[in-house]
Amino acid sequence: MAQVSLENEHLPKSKEKPLIKRFFQQIDIQLMVLPALAFIFVFNYIPMYGVIMAFQEYDIFKGYFDSPWVGLKQFELFFQDPAFFNVMRNTLVISLLKFCIGFPAPIILALMLNEVNRMFFKRVIQTVSYLPHFLSWVIVAGFVISLLSTESGSVNILLESLNLIDEPINFLSIPEYFWGILITTNVWKEIGFGSIVYLAAIAGIDPHLYEAASMDGASRFRQIYLITLPCIMPVVSIFMILAIGNLLNAGFEDILLLAKNPIIRPVSDVIDTFVYRVGLQDYRYSYGAAVGLFKSIIGVILLTIANTVARRSGNSLW
Amino acid sequence: MKFKKSLFLTLITILMTASFLAACSGSNSGSSSNGTKTNTENASKEETGTDNAPKLYELGKEPLEFSLYGHYSWYTMPPWGGDVGTKWIQDNKKVTVKAISAGSDPAAKLNTMIATNALPDVIWLDRAADFERLREAGLLVALDEYIEKYPNLKQWLGDAGINILRAEDGHLYGFPNWYTNQPNGNAGYVINSKIYKDLGSPKLETTDDLYNYLKLVKEKFPKVIPYQPGLANDGQGIDVLYSAFKENDHKFPGMRAVPNGDKLTSIFADPQFVEAMKYTSKLFREKLITQDAFTQTLDQITESVMTGNVAVYAGASPTDIAQKAHPELVKKDPDAGYFMVWPIHKEGLDKNKIFPGTYTTLGWNVAVITKAAEDPEAIFAFLDWFTGPEGQTINFWGPEGKYWKGLKEDGITPIFTEEYINDSAGLLEYQGVSTNFAWVGNTVFADRTKADFDATLPEEQRNWVTKWQNDVTWKTQSNATEFINLNPVPNTDLGIIAKRIDEIYLQARAAAIYAKSDADVEAILKKAEEDAMTNDYQKLLDFKTERWQENKKKIAGQ
Repeated sequence: MAQVSLENEHLPKSKEKPLIKRFFQQIDIQLMVLPALAFIFVFNYIPMYGVIMAFQEYDIFKGYFDSPWVGLKQFELFFQDPAFFNVMRNTLVISLLKFCIGFPAPIILALMLNEVNRMFFKRVIQTVSYLPHFLSWVIVAGFVISLLSTESGSVNILLESLNLIDEPINFLSIPEYFWGILITTNVWKEIGFGSIVYLAAIAGIDPHLYEAASMDGASRFRQIYLITLPCIMPVVSIFMILAIGNLLNAGFEDILLLAKNPIIRPVSDVIDTFVYRVGLQDYRYSYGAAVGLFKSIIGVILLTIANTVARRSGNSLW
Repeated sequence: MKFKKSLFLTLITILMTASFLAACSGSNSGSSSNGTKTNTENASKEETGTDNAPKLYELGKEPLEFSLYGHYSWYTMPPWGGDVGTKWIQDNKKVTVKAISAGSDPAAKLNTMIATNALPDVIWLDRAADFERLREAGLLVALDEYIEKYPNLKQWLGDAGINILRAEDGHLYGFPNWYTNQPNGNAGYVINSKIYKDLGSPKLETTDDLYNYLKLVKEKFPKVIPYQPGLANDGQGIDVLYSAFKENDHKFPGMRAVPNGDKLTSIFADPQFVEAMKYTSKLFREKLITQDAFTQTLDQITESVMTGNVAVYAGASPTDIAQKAHPELVKKDPDAGYFMVWPIHKEGLDKNKIFPGTYTTLGWNVAVITKAAEDPEAIFAFLDWFTGPEGQTINFWGPEGKYWKGLKEDGITPIFTEEYINDSAGLLEYQGVSTNFAWVGNTVFADRTKADFDATLPEEQRNWVTKWQNDVTWKTQSNATEFINLNPVPNTDLGIIAKRIDEIYLQARAAAIYAKSDADVEAILKKAEEDAMTNDYQKLLDFKTERWQENKKKIAGQ
């Protein structure tokens, strides 16, 4: 995205022709965009009328037209739920943790991989680290649950044979451990895939810059700090803006599958799992829609703020 | 060249847009016209049908085809006519059932069918919220008239069963499955024979016996799981322990309410519940219950039980896994395997009043006929035949000739052949398929026929499950029919309260089991009681009480 906008800026203004003319000149390329636009229109814009159900007591047999209007009742139900503050706290804490640890992790991996000279080694690491991305959470959670099990879990067996613990630790039932396990699992699953885009950005850096720097006697670390990082900054900041817009999405499947034990619910319950359990499982569509709308509004606000801040450094989305 | 290229692109774009639009409109138009057609036909048929009083639909006279949708993600109907049983039905009764599969998301599938007015003729589903929704929306056919006309359901279910199945409006909409008038169910305790014998076969009757036994197991076999509950998050293996402290339990923890006189009262305040929680917590604290109880998956439980790595396994239906594990373990070591004990009771209680599980005379789920059906009476006639002795015999043991030949003097019980014992693998294979067609299973007929035959066999040939059902579990399940339908519809105010109470209950139960001391257990449950009451638990209890009293009246036939 950054690349494209940069190129556009370099276009000399004088060559610009009227919009219509330009459009027809590149009609073949423009037509390629059309299906995508149609797709977004049909599947992302048309269904938007569905948000009106957030203000109704939606009944599938009556449809949108005959379901009674209830104003902000669904929102009130959510805000007044005894679990609301706990759920909000968990959502914010988990997503901030994911943001603070899960966001920089792939960048660091990409920087590290970039310093590896042996192609074979680099390729193997890359492949191995991005494979978990393609496993569904059901499978990953299955791994984690059996690794951490008390009866025959590898982690407990290992710790026991190293004499670090006397008896198995019930990892997934101790509230204090849950956030750590969740974040670790997330990083493990997504780090490799996340680093691909940064590796691509790094590959696009002009090698002359490094040559010049090493002639001037810059160490590897200084080169990373002074060349690599500034060059991938546009990509980093765009991804950061998007990540901030997603702050209220603390995750769903991972938490749903890993936090099976109700004992850790006080630390594991986030908006999405709560809505799933309380709203959707019981066909309370309006409730689900209201919470979804609430999340989207907060998301848009956060995104706008992040973008405004980023605009000062010239790396904004719009 | 350039022109050609752009023409090609235009074409692709047009095609793609067209296919989008086609995909959107296709399903809608087709189904709605179908729906209206059947409705009008329906009306005209009914008019002609009611002209001269009871005219029965004769099965097999003309071909009958209807569609059936199983409202479960795990359910895929095998091809109709693909096995000998349904082939026989197709050839002799001219009935063909077309399957509609739910896929991975039944809720979405049903909603789509409702929203697009493309309902199937028959829906097979739980007697729960979805059933109520369909009924309230007037999409189901009332069956009262047909029940009077056709013999089997009326005979085998009985009037009391029919009465309690009636909906609020007094009509009957669901054709029940696995209904019964005798106890069934498998809840209880399965014991590992090998470990039990190695430890000197101690007495296992009271809760103290169980505690001491589990402690002994932990001491002598540190690698073995002393007490393995079923999925503990569903209350399995935990609620069973409650029944040891409460005479005449009807799975009250599952109901989140306990009868006190003619009222249902708070489960948290029930002294026996507190006592049972303390006991469970003690077992858990001393690591006699697996520490993975609340996190493990069914696969992990299955593995432990299959490998004989558990001493006691308890749950709502522990026989499911144990019956597979037993023959495997016996193969390797004739002393190994599993057996069941009479349910554990607290010292001083009457062991004949201890019920770890319940059954209802209404069985499991129902088949409903929707208003989309062209000829509901014909479908009912088939279901009624299918639930009768002839249909059930075919469903369980195939057409006459292989596993059975001729009927006993009562005219309904099949006489089993040698093949029935010798080719048990073949029969199991057939039943593996045919059980998927058991939409209107007749528990009494099936169980009675099986058990009668089984009792004539020598001990070693008797089926493991049938033996323990006869000896233990069927005698220790209580009739909970009066406690059905105590849950409010989810998206109502009461439903929201019920959900909140449920959340409080689940967390409190887990917290109590993880508690560090008995005093903590008491404190946790006391706090849960207060939380529940501030969240309108009493309103919910009043509602449940009202429903319960209504049920009792219905059963009494008032």
